[in-house]
Order: sequence, then structure tokens, then C-alpha cells
Amino acid sequence: MSEELSMAVVELKGDRAVEMVRNRVERGENPIQILEECRQGMSIVGERFQKGEYFLAELLLSAEIFKGAVTILEPYLAKARPPKPLGKVVLATLRGDIHDLGKNIVATLLRAQGFEVYDLGVDVDPAVVVKKVKETGPEFVGFSALITTAFDSMKEAAEMLAEAGLRDKLKLMVGGGVTTPMVKEYVGADFQTTDAMEGVAYCMKAMRGK
Amino acid sequence: MARETMSPTERLWAAIRLEKPDRVPVVPTLLPEPAAHLTGLTMAQVANSNQVALEAMFKVFDEYGGWDSSYPGAYKPIQMQAANLDPMKMRIPGKDLPDDHTWQLVEEEIMKPEDYDKIYEMGIDRFYYDDYLWRISDLKPEDVPREIEALQASFEQFLTECSKRAIQPFFLGYAIHPFFTLSLMRSMVPFTQDLYFNPEPVERVLRRMTTDLISTQLPIAKASGINTWLFTEERASAYFYPPAVFERFWWPYTQEVVDAFWSEGIVTIFHLDQCWDKNIPYFKKLPKGSAILELDSRTDIFRAKEILRGHSCFHGDVPAALLSIGKPDDVEAYCRKLIDEVGGDGGLILGSGCSVPCNVKPENFRAMIETGKSYEFSKKMTVNAG
Repeated sequence: MSEELSMAVVELKGDRAVEMVRNRVERGENPIQILEECRQGMSIVGERFQKGEYFLAELLLSAEIFKGAVTILEPYLAKARPPKPLGKVVLATLRGDIHDLGKNIVATLLRAQGFEVYDLGVDVDPAVVVKKVKETGPEFVGFSALITTAFDSMKEAAEMLAEAGLRDKLKLMVGGGVTTPMVKEYVGADFQTTDAMEGVAYCMKAMRGK
Repeated sequence: MARETMSPTERLWAAIRLEKPDRVPVVPTLLPEPAAHLTGLTMAQVANSNQVALEAMFKVFDEYGGWDSSYPGAYKPIQMQAANLDPMKMRIPGKDLPDDHTWQLVEEEIMKPEDYDKIYEMGIDRFYYDDYLWRISDLKPEDVPREIEALQASFEQFLTECSKRAIQPFFLGYAIHPFFTLSLMRSMVPFTQDLYFNPEPVERVLRRMTTDLISTQLPIAKASGINTWLFTEERASAYFYPPAVFERFWWPYTQEVVDAFWSEGIVTIFHLDQCWDKNIPYFKKLPKGSAILELDSRTDIFRAKEILRGHSCFHGDVPAALLSIGKPDDVEAYCRKLIDEVGGDGGLILGSGCSVPCNVKPENFRAMIETGKSYEFSKKMTVNAG
């Protein structure tokens, strides 16, 4: 495995990373291997973030580089045998809230770690979440909020998941600027954070425990 | 029996001057949306009428026994666009959202990289009204003067209502930090890319916007007769950016603005959302008493107080989540802790972290106001009785 591509992602050398991805995949190298190297870079970014060496800015910028690499690789990945996702996550900003910045960051970071993410968007009705969970069988459901009026929608969605017999089959996460441990209790979630990377680490750890 | 010995304005200014008031001043950031909730109106009703918004805010003030200074905010969201105070697309209840939803801003890349040069050449105000506003708003050119006039009339009425209640507005002058303005206009990811990969245009524009802000906002703040003004920043802290970015793109401009206002005796109220834990020590470089730090509960206000004790006043920071889903006893306990640990020797204005949430429980709102107004006197009574 070449470290050069991974380190281009880590050091935020976007043009260089994209150039390497394009050249290598056009030369016929395995796209899954190239993707894995990009993911390796994102893992190092995550480690630096957790150590306090990197900040949200570097997470955002590296995630953009990763997205650029995936765009180039996608046609080739479609032809290759796709790797099994690490896990599945349904994400949504629920009814009453249209903010999606935090949710989008978490979605990108999860994808970079190999999760399959079903992003339902903003102002989502809880019933839509239940339908998607039935359809996809995710290990995780995550709700993001920037305003407090979304708390009741989160609670409603959690109750609907329980009524449908789905709640025990997944971990429920809540996050966003206004959430606190009290919100976790109120909603009946398994995990709460205001830190995108902490959410990703939670999913990674839970999957390792399986 | 212990009782109030200061007027609301004396109490407020004692706290701002880092002196010990008779009790902590109480100033909740009550905007029209929570006022609508507390008075049984819809979000659409207050978002579409200054008069309804103003009446709701002062109805809450009167029904909950009043407080020490009022946060100005009787506006229609569309007027914030018209007055260049919210440079983003918005969704408004009754128009784009159901009546019971609060109005919200939309994160979208509207300003493009080439616009930096336009702002540098034209200045932000001309760029905004000649070009940018029409990218984000349904307003037509002929609507703008009418909406600004309506906003000014609403402020006049706001002042009258404050005067009737013998309080002063918490501030009248208001601006968004140039750094935050650019982040909102470019949106967060593109702006971050600019900072890291093409910083020169950003720096040129920050320089120009800072100079322009001082020359336009300082006379407004001086003319208001209220020796405070509000300066909002929600995206510059170490939650988002490393110290090198903060030190290059935010702090020098901030210091320059605060110094300019302080030279005229005007105190800057920083509205600082998100976690500023790592940035708090920088505020020690500002002149003592020149700034109030309005925190939203994401910053550790207790640690911040230790760092800035005797140097800066704090405003806040009862968490929005606590006010919306907590219990009155918990609200009371949190307010007591704030008063004891942050306000013990002065320098605290008790209020909500950011604005009062629009689904605040009435009993929690009352607990915050009443604890602020009674807790220190109850302690004095206990001491006297002992």
C-alpha cells in the first residue's frame, strides 16, 4: 500500500491526491485499493483530530478531498466487486429543523470510514425514518439538531422505532449544537455528541464489538 | 428584609463595570419566537408583523415580572435581510414553512470566489445592496427602504416600551463580525477552503470590512446613547479552526474593532456561540471592562470566569436544552451555580445561553427569571437570620 496518497489526504494536498487517484485508476490499478488508501488518510486525520492536533476545519477539508477521490473512482468501483460496507447508518435532521451542516459532515466522515450512509435530508417526518430503517436494516440511526424544537421529533421517532420493534436492533445517536446528555435521556438515545468525529468513533467502536 | 437598592440600569452597569451589584442583573435573550410560544401565538404571526412581535415580547416581560434590560429584537426576519444583518437565504413560517416552525437560515454557497474582489472594490454595503441581496431574497428594490423604515419605527416603539418600564435596551448598535459574515455568504466549507488555500483575498476583504465596520457602526452606536453594542461571531472559535487561523484572520481585526469602540467608552457585547474554551485567554488582551462575553453554554463559563475574573463581564448561559426539556428545579440549581461561581464578585448578567429556545417551558423561563431576582437576597436573609 502506498503511503503517498494517504498522506496527501492527511496534509490536505487536494490537487495532488486527485491527480494520483486519476493516474492510478486510469493505469488500471484496483479502485478498491486506491479507495482504501484514501480511507487510511481519513483515519489518520481522525486520529489527529482526537489528539487535538487537527480541528473541524481539517476534517471538513480532508472530507472534501475524499469526496473528490470517490467521484473519480465511482465508475470504476461500479464495475469492481464492491467491498462490503463496514455498517449501515440512517441519518436525518427531523421535522422542524432545516439545518444540515453537522449532519453532512458526519455523513461524509462515516462514508470515508466505509459505512453505507442513507442521508434522508432535513425537516424529515419520523415516519420516513421508520420506513427507511425497515427497508435498509441499519446498525445505527443518527438525528442531528441545531434548534431545540427538533427534540420532540427525535423522541417521536425513537418511540415509533420502538413500536415497530426496530429500536433494539440498532443504536440511536443524537447530535448537534443544542444537544446535551439531558437530550439523550429525553429522546431515549444510546449516544449523544456535539463532535462529529466522536460520533464516527462511536460507530467504529460498536462495529468492532460485533 | 433584604431588598433591591439599585435601579435596573444601575445594576446592569455595575455588572458590566465588574462591580458587585445588589443582585445579579437578569437579561434573557427573548426574541419574538419564544415570546410567541409563551403568549400562545404562532411563529408565523410574529415573523410577519413587527407590532405583534413587539407586543408579544413585552407581554412576556410584564407577565413574568420583568427584568433588568431588554434585548432588542422586534423584527420580521425579512427585515434582517433588508438591513444587511442576515446575509443568507431564509425560510419563513407562513410562507416557506408551516406556521408553527421557527424561521431559519439556509447554508448555501451564494458568494463566489470572484466576489472577494468586488467587496474589496465596492465595500460590503454597496456590494450587498447592488448585487448580493438579490441573490438571496425575494425582496424587490422598492421594498428595502420600506422594510428598513418599518424596522426603525419598531425600534422607536421598542424604546418607548423600555422607557415605560424604566429599563434601557441591552444594546442598539449591532453587527456581524466580518469573518462570520464571509463564512455565511460563502458557506462554511468553501470559506474554509479560501482560508487555507487562497487566503490573500480573504485578508484583503477582512481589512476593508473592518475599517468600514468601524466607520459605519461606531457613529450609530454613539448616536444610540447606549454605551454597548452587539458583535456576533459563531464560527471562529477553536471548535472550528486552529489557533493559527484564529490569530491571523480573526483576533487582530476583533481587537481593532473593540479598541475603536472602547476609545469612545462603548462596551462590545460579543455573542459567541459554540465552544470558545481554547480562545478565552485571548480576551485578556482586550482592555479591562471593554467587553461582555455572551456564551451559549458550549463554552465552559466557569473556567472562563477563572481566566477572565475581574477583567470581562459574562452574559449567559442557561442552556437551551435545559430551558426546553429540563425541570424548574434544575433550572434554578443551574442559575444558583452561575450566580455563586460566575457572579459571586460581580461581572455576570444572568441570561439564556444564546436565545431563549422557541419551545421553552413557561415554568422553566419563570424559574430562570425568579432565581435571578431572588436568590442573592435569600442568601442575605439567611445570613441576617443566622
